[in-house]
Amino acid sequence: MPPKPHRVLLDRVSGYADEAAAYMRRRRVSRQPFARLYYAEGRAGDHAGDSRVGAELFVAAGRLIEVAGKRPKP
Amino acid sequence: MPDVETSGVEEAPAADAAASALTYLTEMSPDLRGGAILGSDGAVLAASESPNRWREDAAALLGIADRAGEEPVEQVHIATEQGEVFALRHAGLAAVAVSERFALASLMFFDMRSVLRDLAAGGDGRGLDAA
Repeated sequence: MPPKPHRVLLDRVSGYADEAAAYMRRRRVSRQPFARLYYAEGRAGDHAGDSRVGAELFVAAGRLIEVAGKRPKP
Repeated sequence: MPDVETSGVEEAPAADAAASALTYLTEMSPDLRGGAILGSDGAVLAASESPNRWREDAAALLGIADRAGEEPVEQVHIATEQGEVFALRHAGLAAVAVSERFALASLMFFDMRSVLRDLAAGGDGRGLDAA
């Protein structure tokens, strides 16, 4: 069943607020790259770039960024 | 009744529906540089360009992410100096997107999930906007 329209709106507004706060916090703390994995039930884990998994994730991400290319100018 | 949140889709969405969904995702996310939608078997249903590269590189990313933990990963967010990578699995489908730096992650995941949910339900990814 599709979500109710007002839930969609609320989710989007909440998302904006959460992300604005997270964005400012992230800028304040650092602008370092990160790799974050999320699992079912909301569990998440960070992998540092100097760890084996972190390094592999950054390499794989770099390949995807390469294939996506630059954003076309409007 | 199967739970569409966790179970796979019985039939893969049509390529034109996936392409429409990817176009819609691009329209909704101005920071998006490119992306792909993959079926449950890892085949590319739609990609912004170079489908084979997207298939290989998305499979590599999700494979590494799955091996990092004891269970399959649901979402991946990697931020680098060159851009950000998002991957999301939902209902047996997967969406992978590359955006500019500092894209709003929760909005990106929200949009990706909405598109996959609609595709899994037999739509073209546009959900309520299609009405």
